Amino acid sequence: MADPAVPPDELGIGRTIGQLLRKRWRAWLRAIHRDVGYCAVGLTMIYALSGLAINHIQDWDPNFTTYEVEKHIAPIGADVPDDAAVATARAALGVGAPRSIYRAGDELHLEYDDKKIVVYGDSGLVVEQGREARFFLRVANWLHYNRGKAAWTYVADTYAVLLLYLATSGLFMIKGKLGLRWRGALLVALGAAVPLGYVILSGGPGAH
Amino acid sequence: MPNRPDLDRFPELRRSWDRRTFLRNAAAGTALAALGGALYRIAGDDLTRKAMAETRADGKPRLPPGQRVLKQLRPMGGAEGDGEARSFKLRVHGLVERPFELDYAALLKLPQVEKEVDVHCVTGWSVLGARWKGVPIATLAEKAGVKSAARHVIFEAAHGYTTNVRLAEALVDRALVTYRLDGRPLSLDHGAPVRGLVPDLYFWKSAKWLTGIKFVAEDEPGYWEVRGYHNHADPWREERYG
Repeated sequence: MADPAVPPDELGIGRTIGQLLRKRWRAWLRAIHRDVGYCAVGLTMIYALSGLAINHIQDWDPNFTTYEVEKHIAPIGADVPDDAAVATARAALGVGAPRSIYRAGDELHLEYDDKKIVVYGDSGLVVEQGREARFFLRVANWLHYNRGKAAWTYVADTYAVLLLYLATSGLFMIKGKLGLRWRGALLVALGAAVPLGYVILSGGPGAH
Repeated sequence: MPNRPDLDRFPELRRSWDRRTFLRNAAAGTALAALGGALYRIAGDDLTRKAMAETRADGKPRLPPGQRVLKQLRPMGGAEGDGEARSFKLRVHGLVERPFELDYAALLKLPQVEKEVDVHCVTGWSVLGARWKGVPIATLAEKAGVKSAARHVIFEAAHGYTTNVRLAEALVDRALVTYRLDGRPLSLDHGAPVRGLVPDLYFWKSAKWLTGIKFVAEDEPGYWEVRGYHNHADPWREERYG
């Protein structure tokens, strides 16, 4: 509470919040930009690293490391009972008890938590397929694709709004030649020219 | 290029000169790396060059425009099914006289074919001459007795994924319900245990983790089609986006 003994002008109480904001808006902008920036670090890491990973999905699997191995064992006839077929395959391959077993046609499927083994009884061909999740990227990609939906949609929307604030506030953080009067304007124009130029040169979405 | 100033004499210039040098070196390094990468890619892409010179029986170039040949399929993601043959069920329904459901064993008992089919991903890669084994969709359509009003086929997959294909394109002899690629079972990331295969359309039309085939009169754009991808997806017309 203001001390009535002190004149209002000395305390600055006479000034309205509006006046304060008008005089110090750039400082407020910078302060909020800084704190929003801190908040955005985690999500930016997720979206940027996942974006890099997914952009190059043609060249690698951004979610898993996978393997496929072929082996050969003695053929297992269709007349061999299921239990005996499984026992024969496990003994020949030196593998433990599968989580589940399925037999159809000449195929014997042995399912494990981390791999699948398919034995082709007629030929004795065995194909083992397995994979291991890339710890960080699989989770980041899942978030990036918003596969889980639910509340993540709101998180992603909020992040998009925060990014818009960071971009917009960044324009006005510095005044003078380093700001929008020269350097800032030049770099903003350059940045905007990249997507614009790409759309013009490629013909855009309507080109094909 | 400007001469280097005497930084000992004018130390106040050191900071901006160092920054300028750094920026110049960074730009040169980036350009060199990009050039090297491009050269590496161009020089190493014999498969694409060879495919571009080939022509199909129908007169189209073997490689659609904007595609690069890879040796193997790339996993492109998607909401996976459980991948197990024992839980596989395929429902054939819609505008048919005799809707039915198949399990994996029943699928293997139907007449099997093995076809060589090139696949073209909308993201720009193609795999040529892949050998796919399975059951022609036409066989399933015949078994179900598709009604004359049917015009489109909706492929249904795990977690509600769908994609739409014109009836005539789904019934060509190389359009399959497939479970084997190059003599091996499909891996989980490529749609195990069973996926659709619709040739000559971008590969997202070949639904992975297939669960159903529905024949309909009115078109029903699917998961990607309502998200901006082309409704038809002809690679030779580069129908990537709608």
